[in-house]
Amino acid sequence: MAFTPYDWQQTLRQKADYVEDRLREGSPVVGLSCHEGVLLLTVRRAQQKIFEIYDSLAFSGLGNQSDLEAVRQIAVDFAHAEGFQRSPTDVSIQRVVGVALSPAIKRGFSDPLRLPLVFRGLFAQLGDAPESDLFYVLNYDGEFVLTHRCGVVAGTEGAREAMERVLSSRNSKKAPKRDVAIELALEAWAVGRREAVEKAAGEATWRAVLAQAVETGALEAAFLERDSRRERPFRFLTESELKPFLPR
Amino acid sequence: MSEDTSHGDFEKLLEAHGIRLLNLSPGPSSHEKRGTLEKWVGEDRAVSVHGTTVIAVKFKDGVLNVADRRATAGNAIFYEEAEKILKLDDETLIAIAGSYATAFEAVRFLQHSLKYYARSQLQEMSLEGKLSEVSRVLSRSLPGALQGIGAFLPIISAYDRAQSEGRIFFYDVMGARFESREFGAAGSGAERIRGSFEYIVRTKGPFHQMKLDEALHETLLLLDIAASLDTATGGIRQYLPLAKTVTAEGVCDVPEEPLRSAQKALLKE
Repeated sequence: MAFTPYDWQQTLRQKADYVEDRLREGSPVVGLSCHEGVLLLTVRRAQQKIFEIYDSLAFSGLGNQSDLEAVRQIAVDFAHAEGFQRSPTDVSIQRVVGVALSPAIKRGFSDPLRLPLVFRGLFAQLGDAPESDLFYVLNYDGEFVLTHRCGVVAGTEGAREAMERVLSSRNSKKAPKRDVAIELALEAWAVGRREAVEKAAGEATWRAVLAQAVETGALEAAFLERDSRRERPFRFLTESELKPFLPR
Repeated sequence: MSEDTSHGDFEKLLEAHGIRLLNLSPGPSSHEKRGTLEKWVGEDRAVSVHGTTVIAVKFKDGVLNVADRRATAGNAIFYEEAEKILKLDDETLIAIAGSYATAFEAVRFLQHSLKYYARSQLQEMSLEGKLSEVSRVLSRSLPGALQGIGAFLPIISAYDRAQSEGRIFFYDVMGARFESREFGAAGSGAERIRGSFEYIVRTKGPFHQMKLDEALHETLLLLDIAASLDTATGGIRQYLPLAKTVTAEGVCDVPEEPLRSAQKALLKE
């Protein structure tokens, strides 16, 4: 129980340490805008990690599956209630993250008697063109950051920075084609993974890190298609679509 | 953070958010309005807009839906570019006849409901589930329909992947569901052309063996007959009807060009 401002600050710090500890080894997620749409990519163990939220919104993240599920459900509920009451075009990533999720997560995190969510989420919104695609990273304390062109979540600051370096070094002004984006996302994922978990392993190439990860896990990639004729532009990339990119 | 209590049920989600379905919400609010509504009974056809004839027939690759473009209010032509065949999802079509206001709210509800189920439960709703959802919506509109306001009738066309064939379902106003082997029709012109469907099946063979262009020809002819027997049906002469198919490839619009040539060929006959 927190009685003084010092106790309260201490409680928050302990909560943050508790969550950071559990997130450290989580599998990173890469979001990348490309010519044909928005790509989300990660490597998972058993459970699905990338989710469709609404017509042009997708979500992924790392942390406890039950906490990811709680956040996902609120986002899906909010988006559908709003989309029905007003119009599907009134459902935006800003409203889902900034209005529906962030304040609720912040309240939960600040309450000293409640367990914090072990979670760091990446939301992506498909635009009419790559320049209008949006990515929001939402943290366990309710804080969120907006980025354009790409967005990443990882277990540590170092891993996130390393991934962003990979993406920004190759990302020219023009959005890449889908195949180039998949290759780039795989490299960013593996670099993040190496930074967060396998630093001790030393100088393993990113392809070696990826090869090892897909031996025990499964590559998961989803796409929000920009010119889709289907009602729902979200779809998972199939095994045969991903196979050419995997290490042999 | 609250837990999900709707279990993929969109109606429960809307209730939890305090959102009422326009024209589809029985309960206290409609009881309160009953006095007012009763004054409208009998006047409904004069004040509200109705879609008229919609047709669904099977063909070799799936199901073809055809509808004229007319919507009426009483004996006035209200709109000549009405769209009465709508996509419920990528594999299901709904053709609507009757009260436009109720039908469109129902379709909007159903479209959201199917997406909400798939996204929240992480699995697609079965065809059986979709058909039951349509029944539930119809039963919600029953109190109004009994007072003579807002009744509508849908025809559902879907492609059944398990059986590799198109399927057609029609409903009564209370939500009872029936499956048709060959064809379905709803709206003011539908009853008048019922015999013509039978005549085509007996003289030209079953619809499900026809190619798309043959089925298109027959359905446009049926619409033309409906228009000649029912003033509320727009037919095919003045405005090009709307036609959509649902096949193994999903829902598809029949492009304007083949529709126009089928229309021209018929008008020459």
